Amino acid sequence: MGKESALCTIFVDGKNIGRVSDGAAFATEIRANRRKGLLSGEINVAFIKELNEVHINADKGRVRKPYIVVENGKSKLDDQLMEKVRSKEIDFNYLVRRGIIEYLDAEEEENIYAAMRENEINSKTTHLEVDPAIMFGVTVNGSVFPEFNSVGKHPLAWQLMKQAQALPVMNFSNRFGARSFLLHYPQAPLIDSVTYRAANLSKHANGQNLIVAVTTYHGYNMSDAVVVNRASIERGIGRSSFFKTYADEERRYPGGQQDRFTIPSPTVEGYEGEQAYTKLGEDGIVEEEMEVNEGDIVIGKVSPPRFLEEQTAFGAGIDKSRDNSVKLKAGESGVVDNVMVTETSGATKIVKVVVRSEMFPEHGDKMGSRHAQKGVIGSIIPQEEMPFTSSGIVPDLLLNPMGLPNRMTAGHILEMLGAKATCVNGIIGDGTPFARKGNDLIKEYGDVLERSGYDRYGNEMLYDGRTGRRLKSEIFIGPVYYFRLSQMTKLKLQVRSRGPVQILTRQPTEGKPRSGGIRFEEMQRDALVGHGASILLKDRMLDQSDKDSVWICRECGDTGYMDRVKNVPVCPMCGGTSKLESVEISYAFKLLLDELKSMHILARINLKSD
Amino acid sequence: MIVMAKRSNSGKVQYGEPVGVVTAQSLGERSTQMVLRTFHQAGVSSEVISAGLPRLIEIVDARKRAKHALMTIRFDKGIAKDYERVKEIKQKLEEVSINTLINGFDENLKNGTMLLHFDKDAMSAHSITLRKVMEILSSRFPDIEVSNEGNEVTIRYKKRKDVRGVRTAFVHVRDEIVSGVEGIQKAVINSEGETFYIAVSGSNLKGVMDIEGVRPENIYTNDIFEVLSVFGIEAARNAIANEIAYVFDIEKASMNFKHIALLADTMTYSGTIKSVGRHGVAGDKESVFARAAYEETIKHFVNAGFFSETDRLRGVAENIIIGRQITVGTGKVKLMIKNEELERFKPEDGEKE
Repeated sequence: MGKESALCTIFVDGKNIGRVSDGAAFATEIRANRRKGLLSGEINVAFIKELNEVHINADKGRVRKPYIVVENGKSKLDDQLMEKVRSKEIDFNYLVRRGIIEYLDAEEEENIYAAMRENEINSKTTHLEVDPAIMFGVTVNGSVFPEFNSVGKHPLAWQLMKQAQALPVMNFSNRFGARSFLLHYPQAPLIDSVTYRAANLSKHANGQNLIVAVTTYHGYNMSDAVVVNRASIERGIGRSSFFKTYADEERRYPGGQQDRFTIPSPTVEGYEGEQAYTKLGEDGIVEEEMEVNEGDIVIGKVSPPRFLEEQTAFGAGIDKSRDNSVKLKAGESGVVDNVMVTETSGATKIVKVVVRSEMFPEHGDKMGSRHAQKGVIGSIIPQEEMPFTSSGIVPDLLLNPMGLPNRMTAGHILEMLGAKATCVNGIIGDGTPFARKGNDLIKEYGDVLERSGYDRYGNEMLYDGRTGRRLKSEIFIGPVYYFRLSQMTKLKLQVRSRGPVQILTRQPTEGKPRSGGIRFEEMQRDALVGHGASILLKDRMLDQSDKDSVWICRECGDTGYMDRVKNVPVCPMCGGTSKLESVEISYAFKLLLDELKSMHILARINLKSD
Repeated sequence: MIVMAKRSNSGKVQYGEPVGVVTAQSLGERSTQMVLRTFHQAGVSSEVISAGLPRLIEIVDARKRAKHALMTIRFDKGIAKDYERVKEIKQKLEEVSINTLINGFDENLKNGTMLLHFDKDAMSAHSITLRKVMEILSSRFPDIEVSNEGNEVTIRYKKRKDVRGVRTAFVHVRDEIVSGVEGIQKAVINSEGETFYIAVSGSNLKGVMDIEGVRPENIYTNDIFEVLSVFGIEAARNAIANEIAYVFDIEKASMNFKHIALLADTMTYSGTIKSVGRHGVAGDKESVFARAAYEETIKHFVNAGFFSETDRLRGVAENIIIGRQITVGTGKVKLMIKNEELERFKPEDGEKE
């Protein structure tokens, strides 16, 4: 050891390739050569003092971030170069090639001393941040004033932005995605940020600027609900289209049979009557711009029989095919938007039908801002009954003030103030993280508002729309960029009193698409047992579920059946006809008895007269 | 008296009240809470106890070996305030193996000998003499010869051809307990005002009770099976109830003691401790359907078919399965009328039937 340990080990992509005497100088030399362009800019080098190792990385998968190089206490990106950048004489890549801006990976970042802003550069500084906002990614920079919000709210806010209905693509009319939304009147935000400008997000806006008054409304916006102006909805706030694609293919089966897209003929098994297929065109596919409702068939398809036919005396001439058409599920409706017929790579014919439906905001639909302030619509109030300002502005949305203090979303409030100032002076506000100080912003926005005769903190006197009286306190009012989120009542609402049952157990079905009920399970059962509510329990578990009457033999205890020809119940075990009683049991229990019989266990039921 | 009568009446339940379900719900809700937040007790020196949900599961599963058995030992009046005498008893309690008394050892498997280097300080700390150790070893292991030279004890295995035997014998020798009560690993003296008591990990009721100065009626152990074997099932029932109540008490999840008592009763009414689960309370249910609905469905049905079992349909689960009114709560009561009384309800003249 001894002498060897003084040498610095060099690793390239994790492989030990040799040693040098001075690791730090070696790393510096590589860096210098990289900046000169002698080495690729994709190489990163890090000198790790504690281990006396130099790690050179040139492999894929490293996350790298650009920094401006600082030499001798001065940024290499000087005014002269900046002027050239502004005049578009040179671009970012030019700066990277010249070694003025370099990309560093996580390991090399450990070797640098970076200044956040140019005026913070001192003699030790090696690099300068391109912009404070670059510490975040695209999504974080997509929200405005994030530095004023609670840290825990940021992920929730981005989660909301992902759910927003928007204008995601321009070729939406040619798309066949499973589910998609299209916001009809998207607006560019009044306050934007670097991401909005760099990624041109304002052209693909996903929200609308709503005038929000932070006030209550007779309890309709308690617990995070929002009250929405009916006239605003009628003017197009939050209006969107929902596209759902129904797809099917002509499957091939072993034995040379295959599905066919067609209008099923009346001989087909499961034929639903002529009426059901009227919306289909000649090819068995629904016509474009046809109105369709739940249960309507959009793709007519005939499948070969499930089991191979037995040879009858008449030959195989009888059509035993079955109807396997695609229907709209319960609660779905709309207008056929687009139909596509094509083939897969396996030469199987496939059909896709896009059904479009218009979604107006209604009770229970979810709305949210860029600050994780989400809520459902609690009430839709006519414009006449909404509060209004002295200048006649009626808010689009009433937000409950109780949602703000404990969530610490000060960015929401700042956005309202900034957007209000934007409305007055016409300059789109900048909500880029760490671009400005909060006090400066408030002062700037306040000055703008005050100059135009508004209160510098955005408060205004409001008048009650119902009585015309002035509200006692001033109310904070201003525009906020709101999203309409994809959670909508129309897609979720489902009720059932009676409806379909499962074939096997005869118990009610489950889930919305099958118009099912809400399960009454073990713990719910225990709750009723705990209350001793025996009749109610029987009602849930039997009467409203899978009640059935079964013939049971008094003699042998086995289940019998009704002979419909002779109209007498028969016991197949002892052959008797007179000793059977009709007993009401759960069908699931009858099924259990049958399954036990299949295991060679006969459960005999001894009847007792009460 | 009036207060007592009121209290007594308030504790009564209605006829047909499903107390078992209510108990299960009360315990179940609180234990789900315990999964979410468990209070960690600041340990008193080495006193590690399993608390919270793991301990509750341990009790309810009727595990024979509790993870952390604990005993609290109290003393006669004369001794309890005397630290020195309590310390003396503490030394009698703690298990001391040869391993803790030696500095090291040298094995010679070829000759079948082992040299043990005894540590004088360790021996005096446990107040054991070398002579006593040698006596114990030679009396407990007939196959070895013990001789000493100062603090070096030589152990010679008589059948030295059997190397495997030599090794195991030497391991046994080193693990041999020379003083203390079996099963008691660590004792800690705690004080309660002026009186001292000893908390030990490990449990051995009988062994501790025999020690002079210990008040047998004031020993507490959290090992339920120990209580069962020493004091019987009634005591075990109380031990279960108290231990469960203690678990909930630590978690600040209080509930009516009657619920806990009912659980303890269900576990012990048969005379032995039954676990709550398919091998105990649930597995011993009368009804085939109730058992099959819980676990091992097929096994129960096959056995029922084999032995021609009859289900009297008296419980709750089986009646729900077949779709009858359950036999608790409002389903417990039946309307009855004497035949002769019916006469009185015959329609009067002129009244239509």
